[in-house]
Amino acid sequence: MTRIALGGTVLIVITVILSFVQYWFFRYQITDDSILIREGVLKKSQLNIKFERIQAISTEQNVIFRAFDLVTAKFDTAGSAQQEGNLPAIKSALANSLKDRIRAGNKLTDTEEVPQSQSELLLTLKAADMVRIGLSSDRALIFLVLLGPIFESLRNWIGTSVDDSTVLTAMDEPGFTLAGGIGVMVFVVVLLLLFLAAASIIATFLRYQGFQLRAETNALRSTGGALTKHEHAINLGKIQSLVASQNPLLRFFGCFRLQAKQASSGKPGSENQFVIPLCKADQLPMLENRIFSDKLRSFDLRPTSGAFQPIARNYLRSRFILIGLVPALIAISFDFMLLRSLSLTFLAWIPLSALVILTIYRKYGYATSTNGMVLRKGFLGYQTTAFLYRKVQRISITQTYMQERKGLATMRFYLASGSAKLPYVDVHMARQLRDYVLYKIESTHRAWH
Amino acid sequence: MFENAEITIEDLPQAEAVEWQSMDPRFVRRKLTGSVLGIASVLVAVTVLQYILAAAFEDTGLGRSFGWLWLLPVIVAVPSLVWPLISVPKVAYAIRDKDIIYKSGVFWRTVTAIPFNRIQHVEKSSTPLDRRFHIATLQLFTAGGSGGDLNIHGLSTRTAEKLRTFILDRVGSSIEQA
Repeated sequence: MTRIALGGTVLIVITVILSFVQYWFFRYQITDDSILIREGVLKKSQLNIKFERIQAISTEQNVIFRAFDLVTAKFDTAGSAQQEGNLPAIKSALANSLKDRIRAGNKLTDTEEVPQSQSELLLTLKAADMVRIGLSSDRALIFLVLLGPIFESLRNWIGTSVDDSTVLTAMDEPGFTLAGGIGVMVFVVVLLLLFLAAASIIATFLRYQGFQLRAETNALRSTGGALTKHEHAINLGKIQSLVASQNPLLRFFGCFRLQAKQASSGKPGSENQFVIPLCKADQLPMLENRIFSDKLRSFDLRPTSGAFQPIARNYLRSRFILIGLVPALIAISFDFMLLRSLSLTFLAWIPLSALVILTIYRKYGYATSTNGMVLRKGFLGYQTTAFLYRKVQRISITQTYMQERKGLATMRFYLASGSAKLPYVDVHMARQLRDYVLYKIESTHRAWH
Repeated sequence: MFENAEITIEDLPQAEAVEWQSMDPRFVRRKLTGSVLGIASVLVAVTVLQYILAAAFEDTGLGRSFGWLWLLPVIVAVPSLVWPLISVPKVAYAIRDKDIIYKSGVFWRTVTAIPFNRIQHVEKSSTPLDRRFHIATLQLFTAGGSGGDLNIHGLSTRTAEKLRTFILDRVGSSIEQA
C-alpha cells in the first residue's frame, strides 16, 4: 500500500518538475511584425511567424484555463505545416487583441472600407441539434459496425444451441428456454446500442455545446464546446471545396453536415477542414452564398434540387457486367468445377448488385455554372461537393475502349483539397467543360490559395 | 483600357486540337533493354533455383519434376517485351502557351491538362539505365495530395531540360495576388 502511494507521489513530482521545465524553456515575444516562439529543453526550436502570413487564429479553452481566463491560440498560416505554431495558456485578452490585429492587417491589404470588427451570427445549434448530431455521427456508425460481430456470435450461438440435444434439454427444463435465451441477448444488444448512442450524444455535447457560427468580412468563425471551448476560424479565400453530406439518419432529420476543405498537404489524415456539424436544408443556400461570396449564384448544394443532370445510362450496364455478372459467373463456375457443389447461391449476387448499382447511379449528378460546379454522389446518403473552377489544379478526361465507342468519358477534377470524379458523361460536354475550366484558370489573376 | 469581350464556348481554344509530341524513339529501346535485363535476372534466378532444388531432392529422385519452372521466364518475357511496343506510342504531350497537356494509356486513355499557373515545382530525374539512352523523367507537381503530380517518362534529356526551364519560366511569370 505504501509502495503504491510512494510510486504515485514520485510520478506526480516528476510530472510537476517536467511541466515546470517545459514552462521555463517556453518563451514567446510579440514584435511589431511577427510572433517569436522559442521552446524545447534538449531539442531547441525557434519559430518566427510573420503577422502578414497569419490567415486566422483559432483558440481552445479547457475548464482549468477558463478559471484563469487563459486560452491556447493556434496560428493558421498560408505556408506549410511547419509554419504552424501555437501559444498555450495566454491571457484571453491578449488572444483577442492578436485577433483584432490580424483582422485589421487583412483589411489593410483591401482598399475597402474602415475595419470594423463586426460579425454576423449565421447559425446556432440547440440541444435537440446535439442529439441529432450525436445519433447521426460517424462514431455511432462505427458502433453499429462493431455491433456486427456481436450479431454474428449471436447467430452462431443460436446455431450451436439449436441442435437436437439442446432442444430436447430445453424442453426438459422449463426454467431455461431457447426463446428466453434469445430474449436476454436481444435485451443486452439493445442496451448496448442505447449506451453507445448516449455516449455519442454526450461526446457531441462536449464538443459542440452552444455552437455558434459567425461571419466576418472574409472569414468564418465557429465557437462551441461544453468543457473545452473551441474557437475555429477559416479564411474564406482559402476554402478549396465545400462538401455537404447527408447520411441516412441526417436525411431522416432533413439536415446536412458541411465541411469547408482547405488545401491538404497530401499526407492522409492531415486534412485541413472547417466543420459545420449540422445545418438545415433551407440554411444551405445562405451558407453557400457566404462561403463563395455569391459567385455561384444559381447554385444549390441540396441534392434534391432540380439543377442536377444525370450521368449516362451506360454506367449501369458497364458496372453491372463488371461488378455483378462477371464475378457471380466466375464464382459459380469455380464452385461447380472445384467443389462439385451445385449451389447457386452466388446467383443472388446478380439482382443484389443490380440494385446497389442502380442506387449509386441515381445519386450521381452534376450541375455547372459560370464560375463553378457541384458534383453529387452517394449510396445510402448523399454527398455534394461544390468548387470554383479557378481553384482547380488539373483536369483529366479518361476513356475506356467501350466509352470511346459510346462517346462517353470520365472526368476528374484535382483540387488542392482532393479530387472529384464525374463518371460517364458525354465526351463533347466533357471536353468543352475542360476547355472552359482551363480558360477560367488561365485567365484569372487571383491565386487559388 | 478595360476590355471584357464576350466569350462563346465554341471559340475557346480546344485542348484536343493540338499537335501531339510523342516520346523519344530511344525510349522504346530503353524500355526493351529494361525488360531484357529483367528477364535475364529471372533466368538466373530460375537456374540457381534448379541447382538448389536438384541438390535438395537428389536422394528422393524428384529433381526432374521442377522443369516447369522454366515456364516462368517465358511468362514474364512475352508481356514485358510486347507491352512497351504497345504502350509507348500511346503516350504524347503538347505544350500550349498557358498549359501542358499529356495523354497516355492503352485501356484507360487519359488526357490530363495542367495550367502553368497551378504548377508548384518541376523535377527532372533519370536512372542509370535512362542515362545510357539519354532519357529523362519530368515530374510536374501541383497542390493537393491525391496524385498531385504528373510524370512524363521518356523525354530525351535535352527536351526534358528545355521543358523544365520553359515551364519554370512560365510558372514564375504567372505570380498572382492573393
